[in-house]
Order: sequence, then structure tokens, then C-alpha cells
Amino acid sequence: MSFFSLLVLLVFNFSFELGGAALHEIGPGVLWSAFVFACLLGLNRSFADERENHSLDALLMAPGDRGAIYLGKMAANLIFLLAVELICLPFFALFFNLSPGFFILPLLGVLVLGSACLSAAGTLFAALSSTMRLRELLLPLLLLPIILPALISCVKATGLVLDNQFGPALYPHLKMLAVYAIVFVTLSLMLFEYAIEE
Amino acid sequence: MKKNILVDKIMPPLVCISMLMALAAALLYAPTEKVMGDTQRIFYFHVPAAISAFICFFLVFIGSIQYLRTRYAHWDRLARCAAELGVLFGLIVLVTGPLWAKPIWGVYWRWEPRLTSMLIAFSIYVAYLMLRTQGASGGQTPRIASVLGIVAFINVPLVHYSVDLWAADQQLHPQRNVDLQPEMLYALYVCFAAFFLLLALLLRRRIELAKIEEAVEKMRQRLATGMDY
Repeated sequence: MSFFSLLVLLVFNFSFELGGAALHEIGPGVLWSAFVFACLLGLNRSFADERENHSLDALLMAPGDRGAIYLGKMAANLIFLLAVELICLPFFALFFNLSPGFFILPLLGVLVLGSACLSAAGTLFAALSSTMRLRELLLPLLLLPIILPALISCVKATGLVLDNQFGPALYPHLKMLAVYAIVFVTLSLMLFEYAIEE
Repeated sequence: MKKNILVDKIMPPLVCISMLMALAAALLYAPTEKVMGDTQRIFYFHVPAAISAFICFFLVFIGSIQYLRTRYAHWDRLARCAAELGVLFGLIVLVTGPLWAKPIWGVYWRWEPRLTSMLIAFSIYVAYLMLRTQGASGGQTPRIASVLGIVAFINVPLVHYSVDLWAADQQLHPQRNVDLQPEMLYALYVCFAAFFLLLALLLRRRIELAKIEEAVEKMRQRLATGMDY
């Protein structure tokens, strides 16, 4: 997943001739595109073991709430995604001549919130598409329009942070991300038992 | 059954008449707008189509919830047919919008909040229909589609707010608080009535068709397995 994100950064570099002045305009978009693609790769795999070994039935038989399975899967996806982001970030800075500064702390905050949104919606959709025939194709088709609201705020917030603007302009976007994550975790907890039923 | 036949007899001519009335109201009765001229008349079809699309999306939501609760096939059928009509009406909105925008804004498309959120909502329901046609193994498609139908509808306000945040400085789309002359308002009401009747008729016909499709599919499966019936 990390290597894939790095390749995406590389591809964008050549397709847009990035660097210098362009960074602040399309840098955040490039970064989040790379993360979203990596996230899709990871999500496609997140129910693969259960499917190949038919161990989902065992999981479903386990006493306890189905929501717990969702939370576990979501936590795993979130940790993977954050790991990918932490590996990619130094390379992003390196490739695009970004000098480290105070913005790193708020940037990490945006990354965590944004990743929570991606994995909250992503895990539900990975579960949904895991029983589909064309799952690798359908997952991005279903997920991308759904995560667009989160993605918009991620890109805007990242752009503001990279521009060293931490003021009131940033808060609405963070609030949006928090609301999105809360809505999707709640919704998924309610719907997950229907999503993975056998 | 008798009542249904009556409805089937009355509805098509009623829709026909109301559509003609809507055309007359939009093109002849409504006064020409001072600034935009005749271009503004597309509004009488654009707005009712948009409201109809969102009614369809709401029906998908209701059908999906009820299907997950009760597992009755007719709720799933409602959701599927409403999604198709929602995409159809959404397409009308997305075609009439740019037709109006070209003479007024000078371009067919702007990344303006209202346009963007309609496009995103539209693409979510296109994805929903793709899921329905691709299908899952072992007749699980209705269940999966229902979950998507619920998530998609909850997502609509989120899309709306996030896009508003994203391009708050580009609000160009006419807002809800525009003052309309009484004649314009009456014409709009006629168009609303015509579109809602059309929606009801199309939905009814589509559901009937879906029932027939399902019956055919069942017969085909029986033939394939060699069972006699």
C-alpha cells in the first residue's frame, strides 16, 4: 500500500510537473488522491481472508455484537492507512521540497480525522462488496462518491495547514470531518449486521 | 383489483393533459422574466425535475429501510424502481441546468455548490444501479443494495454541507428565496403537479414491469433446472 502511494505521488509529479509554486495549489489534492487509492487497495483485501477461508461464518457465530466486528475491522483499516500516510509523508515533503515546521502537528490531526472518515465509510463498503462478483471493480465505484464530502474537507484542511493558516478558516472543515466520521461510524454500527449477514 | 384498473385507465390521459398544461403554463402563461428573458422558462421544468429526483431518492431510502426490516420483495422493488427514476429525473436536471447556464453564465458548467452536490448525489445513485445490475452471489443483491440505499440518502445532506464549505464564495445558483411573480408561481405549481403525476405513473408502470421481469426470471430458472411447473 505504501509503495503504491509513492508510485501515485510519482505519477502525479510527472503528469502535473509539480514542485515550487504549484505545491500549495494541488499538493493536498495529490496527497489525498494517493491516500484514497492506497485505502481502496487495503479495503479490497480487508475481507479477503474471511472470504478465502470461509471464516466469516465463524466470526458471525461468535457471541457478541456484530458492531464489534465492524469496529475491529475499522480499527485495523485505520491503523494500516495511518501507517501508509506516515511512510508517505516524508517522501511527499522530500519530493515537493516541503521544509518541516510547526504545521506538522495540525497536519497529523487532519490526517487522523480524514483517515477515520475514509476507514469508517470504507469498512462498511468493503463488507458490502465482499460478497459481490465484481468486488474489486465495484468497491471504488460505490465508495468514491460516498467519501467525496470527506475528501473535499480533507483537501481543503490540508491546504490551509500547509499554508500555515490554523485560524477560524480551518475549523469548519475539521468539524465537517468529525461529523462525517461520527455519522458513518454510527450508521455502520446500525447497518453492519445487514451488510455481512450470510 | 377493480380500483387499480380504473387508476391505470385514468392516469395516462391525466398525465398527458397535465404535461400539456405544464407546457402551456411554462411557455405561454408565465410572464417573460425581465433580466433573463425566455431562457428563464426552463426553470419550470428544472425545479420540478429536481424535486422529483429527491422524492425518488427518499423513496429509495424508505424502500431500503422497510426491506431490511420486513424482507418483503415489494419494498426492494420500490427502492430499485425509484432509484432508476431518480437517476432519470436527475439527468433531466443536469441537462436543463447547463442549457440555462450557457446563455446566463456564459458557460455550461461551473463548479458551483448546488451543481456539484447534485452531480455527486446523481453519481451515487448511478453507482447504486450498477450494483443492482452487477449483482451479488446467491440472491444477496437486495440486502446489499438496501444498505447502500440508506447510506446514500444519509450522505446527501453531508455532500450538501461539505460542498457549501468548499466553494462558499461561488454561490451563483438562484436561491430558494427568489421573489416570483404570482403568475410565475402558478405556472410553477402546474409544472409541479404535472411532474408528480408523471413520477407516480412511471413508478407504477416500472413496478409492474419489475414484477413481470421477476416472474420471467423465475420461470427461466425453473426451466433451466428441468423442474416442471
